[in-house]
Amino acid sequence: MSMSDTIHIQIDRADGSLQRLIGLVERRGFHIDGMSMAPVSEEGGASRRIALTVRGRDAARSIDNLGCQIDRLFGVSRIAAPAFQSEAA
Amino acid sequence: MSAAAPALKTASVPATVHDTATGARLLVSSLERMGVEVVFGYPGGAIMPIYDALTGTGLKHILVRHEQGAAFAADAYARASGKVGVCMATSGPGATNLITGIANAMMDSVPMVCITGNVPQGVMGTDAFQEIDILGVTLPIVKHSILVRDASEIPAAVEQAFHIAASGRPGPVLVDLPKDVQFAETIAPFGFNIPNEIVEVDHDAITEAERFIRAAERPLIYIGGGVKIGRAVEAVRAFAEGTGIPTVSTLNALGTVPTDAPGYLGMLGMHGTRAANEAVQASDLLIVLGARFDDRATGKLAEFAPHARVVHFDIDASEIGKLRETHVAVAGELKPGVEALTARMAAAPLAIDPWVIRCASAAAHHAPRYDAPGEGVYAPALLKQLSEAAGDRFVAACDVGQHQMWAAQHCRFSKPEAHITSGGLGAMGFGLPAGLGAKLADPSATVVTIAGDGGFMMNIQELATLKRYGVALKIVLLDNSSLGLVRQWQELFFEENYSEVDLSDNPDFVKVAEAFGVEAFRIDQRDQVEAGIARLLAADGPCLAHVVINPKENVWPLVPPGKSNAEMMEGA
Repeated sequence: MSMSDTIHIQIDRADGSLQRLIGLVERRGFHIDGMSMAPVSEEGGASRRIALTVRGRDAARSIDNLGCQIDRLFGVSRIAAPAFQSEAA
Repeated sequence: MSAAAPALKTASVPATVHDTATGARLLVSSLERMGVEVVFGYPGGAIMPIYDALTGTGLKHILVRHEQGAAFAADAYARASGKVGVCMATSGPGATNLITGIANAMMDSVPMVCITGNVPQGVMGTDAFQEIDILGVTLPIVKHSILVRDASEIPAAVEQAFHIAASGRPGPVLVDLPKDVQFAETIAPFGFNIPNEIVEVDHDAITEAERFIRAAERPLIYIGGGVKIGRAVEAVRAFAEGTGIPTVSTLNALGTVPTDAPGYLGMLGMHGTRAANEAVQASDLLIVLGARFDDRATGKLAEFAPHARVVHFDIDASEIGKLRETHVAVAGELKPGVEALTARMAAAPLAIDPWVIRCASAAAHHAPRYDAPGEGVYAPALLKQLSEAAGDRFVAACDVGQHQMWAAQHCRFSKPEAHITSGGLGAMGFGLPAGLGAKLADPSATVVTIAGDGGFMMNIQELATLKRYGVALKIVLLDNSSLGLVRQWQELFFEENYSEVDLSDNPDFVKVAEAFGVEAFRIDQRDQVEAGIARLLAADGPCLAHVVINPKENVWPLVPPGKSNAEMMEGA
């Protein structure tokens, strides 16, 4: 059983954006063990913050590469701040 | 995103204008502002307002006979022209028929914008007639997608779609327009001028790359399709010439280094040359430029280039280290990166003569032979002759199968645009619509579709499109009355159990072409090849050469699937 990691993401509210993110994570070989989401309002439109707990299906799956794949999405950014977790708890 | 985006022609339109129009009209004027000249498409109920707005505009719409043809043609148009290809279709079945073409563009990083109509927003989500969630369906196979819910957002959405499609690592972008959005009257701003992100060259990484290269005894340049896409062809040629390091190419990079360039060892991988695969296996340093370690190139990954350290240049950071450990990563644009490396390497020559001589003698020793026994047409020789006869204007638009591999192995390519092929997806049916798109992109080129009898039948309806627009595409149809590559694998790996590969009841392709109004002729003897090529190349309009070949002919060499590139099989 591989280790799980938590990725923090900010994501625009656009058609298909959640499907796009979740689909990418699963397609690239990761299980999603946990997910929490909360709205954030910022200038320029509505956005959400997501914490995804993921685990590679096999040892070859690299969390670093998954991060790079997420970075390729538009309207999606990885964030370092885990502050959202305590807000959502 | 990067500055590698193709220049978009917007000069004839003011930088900022305001327009009052329907959404459909805004869509058309937005495409014109992006410099679009040709659109491939097929109308239907949910995109009728856009087709209504198309008439009388400067856009040349090519009416294909199946939406898959539109997507493939737009893809090849982009590959041949360096511009963004555009296709459009209606909702539901029109949109789903685009899917294979969208996936093809995604796999080979081709800039394409796909416009789909959709049902009105009020009935979206109710299983309305011809309603499909095409945005949802295509999520895994697009670089990005946009559902436009307000007509005033159309110019911004189109500009964003073109920017995303063409910048960085290119790819297809879907723009879905519900019918009510097409009808809506609105005032919308134009001219967003999305800035290109410039990624500075990482000079520390370049210095490190130089150190690795100078320490190597057997360095090898592994060229991928990203070199052409990144407009780094001249930079890579200068690097290879300046350093004298031998080169190998992926399928999608053929022509990046001319076929006859010194030090060029050919294609690597499953149907690569022995010289290329042996060089990779012996190399102690791979300099990977815009390539992604595709399994057809690497064979069994764990045994690929076992002695080599890796210097990897790629604009897509997610490709670096994805499949193979990288020792020096140079993420960013290829052209400035390779130019910076070439400048550093100019300080002193490399002492790699024994390696260069070893590679060159392997290439000479394993050079393909064209003296196959018999009187029948030998396809590899025909393709070589064809490419040499067509010269530097030659552009091959290949379908998928044995003929595709023979074209890759035996044709002479002087530039990467000369070889258009469905590399990552391997989509049969690509060749004919791809030839259509490439010929429209570059009418002065000698564009030849090279197809087999299986794939040709998958989009044969586009012969009607050639006829309608008088597109002087040349077609070489290599007919072995079977699904040859599958038949070859059944022969070699499935104990000659020839399951569902016989196509000996094919129609008479000459009669079929003539029924479409396309000139056609047949050859089946070796002594007819020279005259056949001459007739094909001399034809004023579209012309098909139906070439009957031996169904038992195989593609050699071959690395068996899942095996190391060191285990190449040769034919009898």
